[in-house]
Amino acid sequence: MRQQLVQAFIALLMIAVILLGVELGVREEYLKAYEFPPASRIVQGFIELTTVGFPTGVTIWSHIFVTVIRILKGYIAAMAIAIPLGMLIGAVPVLDKMTVPLIVFFRSVATLSLLPLVIVWFGAGELTKVILIAYGCFWVMLSNVIAGVKYVDPALIRAARAFKVNGWTLYREVILPAALPRMFAGARVALGVGFMVIVGAEMIGTIQGLGALIMEARSFYRSEITVIGMLVIGILGYLITSGLAALERLLLPWGGGSSEAA
Amino acid sequence: MALKQSRASALVKAGIGPDAGLNPVVASPMIDIRHVQKRFAIRGGGQTVVLENISLSIAANQFVSIVGRSGCGKTTLLNIIAGLDAASSGEVLIAGQRVVGPGQGQGMVFQQHSLFPWLTALENVAFGARSLPLGKAEKISRARTLLELVGLEGSAGKYPREMSGGMQQRVAIARALALDPDILLMDEPFGALDELTRIEMQQELLRIWEARRKTVVFITHSIGEALTLSDRVILLAPHPGRIAHDITIELPRPRSRTDRHFNAIYEQVWRGLAS
Repeated sequence: MRQQLVQAFIALLMIAVILLGVELGVREEYLKAYEFPPASRIVQGFIELTTVGFPTGVTIWSHIFVTVIRILKGYIAAMAIAIPLGMLIGAVPVLDKMTVPLIVFFRSVATLSLLPLVIVWFGAGELTKVILIAYGCFWVMLSNVIAGVKYVDPALIRAARAFKVNGWTLYREVILPAALPRMFAGARVALGVGFMVIVGAEMIGTIQGLGALIMEARSFYRSEITVIGMLVIGILGYLITSGLAALERLLLPWGGGSSEAA
Repeated sequence: MALKQSRASALVKAGIGPDAGLNPVVASPMIDIRHVQKRFAIRGGGQTVVLENISLSIAANQFVSIVGRSGCGKTTLLNIIAGLDAASSGEVLIAGQRVVGPGQGQGMVFQQHSLFPWLTALENVAFGARSLPLGKAEKISRARTLLELVGLEGSAGKYPREMSGGMQQRVAIARALALDPDILLMDEPFGALDELTRIEMQQELLRIWEARRKTVVFITHSIGEALTLSDRVILLAPHPGRIAHDITIELPRPRSRTDRHFNAIYEQVWRGLAS
């Protein structure tokens, strides 16, 4: 306990030293403020963002709101298709064999490399952004649901069969619950992918959203706003992921939550 | 290697009584394994014979252990009796009925980690009765009685990861009893437990066996365990799996491992395995 406090103190001290160093460096004109935004500027920028907004009229809260809604739309759409589809593919070996190469291929395509094509198909509006997020989340979730269903401990299946539990009952009461931890792990990773994709997806055709905020700040040499955008995305991602972990502990109280996603 | 059969004395031990003992063949066995062979295809063609012509009759209420080295086909034989695996040729009869699948009077206790982690102790035991046409309340009350039998009434709401290995195997035994089977098939159930817990569980199993009178087929690596528990010990020899010895243990229970007779039989079994 005491050792942990000391370690935390040293870590905080390091951060304070770096922030102070940047602050002094800029003040003494050794560093340029747009290359190394000092803490005081970041605080000012945050106040500006909460009052006037950047660009003027768009506050940080509406950036956050727009981004979260976009991520949730794409994420929920991806879950809604990936979960039932994965549960089907994982249960039918023939389907699994057929789809493996496709899934590996599409999963490997960097989501943002699809941007030009998706713009051609769906324009530069809302739909394009949501589709890109959904695409990124979908393949990660799909492969985890399939793996969860496919790699259920055979000892559990054998035990169920010994009690004359077969077919649909076996699937519903043994295979699905056994696959849940892996599905939750996949859902966590997929959400992280959503947050990674959002900045790129918001690069074009909008001035609202955290990704747009970061791009806009770049054109005006407002590096401190970019840093704020990064920080807010990080904090949001952390909060939502913690929320999912809490939900998992609530829904799976038997402690299956140690499973790792791939 | 002579095959030693002493079925008559085993039947007398099992409580059929001296009258039945006059003509033991009349009493039809609980488990009748007839010329069971199990082959597996090997990659690139050819076959490997796991079990070669196994014939074995087990009387009702008898406690039989099957001992042998790894790879001698013990678990395969148990799975065939359980109806989880099919013999390549030959057949198994339970109370005169040919085994075609699970649920014909077999209750199964597996090695560790066969409980469903998402179910509590009580729900795991109730799952054992899943295929019975009973209401949920009846299954739960049956499960509660069985948890009491294995001494775990206080842990009904615990998940498997909250229980020790010994407690988990008690739950597994209670679950196996949920279909009220005539036969308890046990696949190295105590193999992963520490020595002290293991000895406790052996005493516990004998107590349950006295209380519920089942026919038990018990697979183990441990000669000591087999001799402590069984009316009869079957030694399997590997490559291909076949019965090498069939030894009847007539020592009274509870048995002491330091007993002279116990040690004499231990020697005999040890030599049987080593040969």
